[in-house]
Amino acid sequence: MIPRLLLSAVYFGLGIIIAFVPENTTKPFRLTAEQMLNEVKYRSEMVSSDELADWMVNQDPSIQLIDIRTPKEFDQFHLENALNIPLSQILDEEWIDFLDQGIKMNILYSNGTTLAHEAWMISRQLGYENNYVLQGGLNYWTETILNPSAPSPYSADDEIAKYEFRKGASQYFGGEMKSTNESKKTKTDKPIIKRRKKKKAPQGGC
Amino acid sequence: MGPLIPQEIIAEGWNFLIAFGVGIGFGFILEQAGFSSSRKLAGVFYGYDAVVLKVFFTGAITGMIGLLYLSLFDWIDLNLIWVNPTYLWSAIIGGIIMGAGFIVGGFCPGTSVCAAAIGKIDAMVFFGGIFIGILLFGETFEWIKPLYMAEYWGQIKLSELIGISQGLLTFFIIIAALLMFWVAEMAEKKFPQKEY
Repeated sequence: MIPRLLLSAVYFGLGIIIAFVPENTTKPFRLTAEQMLNEVKYRSEMVSSDELADWMVNQDPSIQLIDIRTPKEFDQFHLENALNIPLSQILDEEWIDFLDQGIKMNILYSNGTTLAHEAWMISRQLGYENNYVLQGGLNYWTETILNPSAPSPYSADDEIAKYEFRKGASQYFGGEMKSTNESKKTKTDKPIIKRRKKKKAPQGGC
Repeated sequence: MGPLIPQEIIAEGWNFLIAFGVGIGFGFILEQAGFSSSRKLAGVFYGYDAVVLKVFFTGAITGMIGLLYLSLFDWIDLNLIWVNPTYLWSAIIGGIIMGAGFIVGGFCPGTSVCAAAIGKIDAMVFFGGIFIGILLFGETFEWIKPLYMAEYWGQIKLSELIGISQGLLTFFIIIAALLMFWVAEMAEKKFPQKEY
């Protein structure tokens, strides 16, 4: 009889302790401040406008553009095939499958880089990978890709090569003096993303 | 840190191997606890032997305490633990069918395999019956489906349903389990097993 009473007392004691301690709610954030600082320090989340233009010209299927601005701004102008996830809705369940996945490379952009960076930091804190930020945002995109300015004739060769590329890209995107306010009415469908399988624990019976 | 597989600390391919090991352990414990005897199993319904109740409730409260303490020390992320979704009517009706089968057959699915493994013929018959049941269920599923899917409550936890913390709920369940063990032992004395 004694061992049973002892065991009961142990369970009772453990139960009392667990009833009074607060629940652990620290889990949703996966990165420590130091890890975050490291990521920010190396700027590994940045994608330059030239890189992006190259991918878009080649119609790289592995990238997914995500527009962080408001739907109104999105309707006025957005990059081709971009998906609109306004910053205020970034935590909505609807978007989790797009932001938290391991298949496509998400490139977040806003007009500048502030909004996109805020969105990126939130997603990074949640432990999502594969999210990147367009360097300089749409403003820099317009400046460098849509309306590239010619370098001086004495520039280094790679500067001139870059300009040649940008000029080509500009033609591809229909830039060259085109203002960003011109609305593109191409309605983009939500891309299909394979839902990540819910990790199932083996379901037991007796 | 945990759970190890969803956090990708252990590759997903290990899942089945680990399940295999746990399964063997589970079967061994069932057999050790005497669960391969249908008289012992049915005893819980007649009051002369409550070992089934004790083993499963001890397992449940041990698991609850273990998970909550691991979570308290940051060793496991409870959000990543799979919670079986609740289909209320399925659960109730399935429970009744399972309970009736338990009394009539003297086994539940796991223990029947266990008993069949040590060569009990009634358990082998019971084990065959499981497959007949599965076949019937599969063939009539379209017809049963509305009931099967009814009252879907999602992946809800009891603590969320009644709105108390998981820790407090665990404490109440421990109290309930200890009380049940006590009552069950009294019943064991009151209704001794008849000798045939």
